[in-house]
Amino acid sequence: MKKSIIEMHKGIFEITVTVNGEKKELAVKNGEFLLDALRRYGWKGIKKGCDTGDCGSCAVILNGRPVLGCLAPAVTAHNGEITTIEGLGTVHAPHALQEAFVEAGAVQCGFCIPGMILSSRHLLDRTPDPTEAEIRKALDGNLCRCTGYVKQVEAVKNAAKKLAGTKK
Amino acid sequence: MKNIKYYAFPSTVKEAVALLLNKKYKAMALAGGTLVAKTLPETVETYLDIKNVPIKNIKLLGGNLVIGAGATFDEIDRSKLCRGWADGVLSGAAAKCSSQLIRNMATIGGNVARPHSFNIFPVVLLGLDAKVRLATCSGNRLVEFQDLYSSGLGLRPGMDSLITEIIIPVKTKKWKCEFIKLAKTESSWESYITLLFSAEKKGKALTQVRVAVGALSPRPFRAPEAEKALLAGTGAAAAAGAFASELEAARAGEYRSSAASSLFKRFAASVG
Repeated sequence: MKKSIIEMHKGIFEITVTVNGEKKELAVKNGEFLLDALRRYGWKGIKKGCDTGDCGSCAVILNGRPVLGCLAPAVTAHNGEITTIEGLGTVHAPHALQEAFVEAGAVQCGFCIPGMILSSRHLLDRTPDPTEAEIRKALDGNLCRCTGYVKQVEAVKNAAKKLAGTKK
Repeated sequence: MKNIKYYAFPSTVKEAVALLLNKKYKAMALAGGTLVAKTLPETVETYLDIKNVPIKNIKLLGGNLVIGAGATFDEIDRSKLCRGWADGVLSGAAAKCSSQLIRNMATIGGNVARPHSFNIFPVVLLGLDAKVRLATCSGNRLVEFQDLYSSGLGLRPGMDSLITEIIIPVKTKKWKCEFIKLAKTESSWESYITLLFSAEKKGKALTQVRVAVGALSPRPFRAPEAEKALLAGTGAAAAAGAFASELEAARAGEYRSSAASSLFKRFAASVG
């Protein structure tokens, strides 16, 4: 029978997760949230903003859907698959969304952008040709204090077109 | 979460209930965790994660709409079955809850199991005569939603039993319904008031009316005088007056009473 319970030892839970396609063994602290655990292990693309589930800067994709790293206890990622912004693209080979955000001028201070791009990626995965209303709804949990969201919406539309073109 | 000693992730309802009932673990069930992950009671020592328990389906059974307790707000928002039921109030309410990132995590079961005045589903379920299926130590138990929070239930969902399904009766499928959330912004979790108006019309007569009110107290309540007035056909203005009196009695305050009774008057006029 598959083991369905793990015990804490000296304040630590040993968990197994796949982060950006790579299997990892993480030692997460009791009471630690995914946001803090991932940052502690070097995935700094996940940002600590409000820490109360309001701003969306800590969004990561966990088991196929974007979640708030500040509200997900780290231990619950056990056996899960995580995608952080580092798993989407690199400086030299950016993802279509990353390119589109830069080209549209959607990035100002940049703090909210990792979460926003991951939310956008999930949207485009299930709605390849989204309407403006659908984009705004998908991003309603990602707050940006620099912009008025116009450029980000434009960026997602442009990325959708680009991705549709590459699929043809 | 500092007192947590175990993390359990059962894959069946039976296993989950056994863990809840095992005194060694002092477990509490969590699904999305958005309401309680940061505020677990200190007595809890096991984080019982029910994400692998197969209670997520949304389906029709015997004509009733059955929503698995593990269905997320996002899944309910996108469900064709929910959108086509009772003027789509279930999907509409799910879409009005907080942000997409919260809707991806939060589940209807968690929203119902943890009474809080700002929870959105209790008021909707109260206005749709919903029932709740609980897995307990002695098997499944079906309870009226309105009895879920009564002390007479003798159960503490999530601590000694597990909510597995929410059942919306077939009779409500074609009801005329309206869900309203009055809040500072559309995505605010906090609401000034939440309202569910529902009515069944046969010919020219109203045969069923429900007026449910949330956000004023941890548990939503119905407004029986407003329901009676509307059923009696006394007119929208009189029914709204009765509703305003009930809200004032519930200490809703002038703004909420006035706004909610105006909205009810509009609904009453639309179905009258």
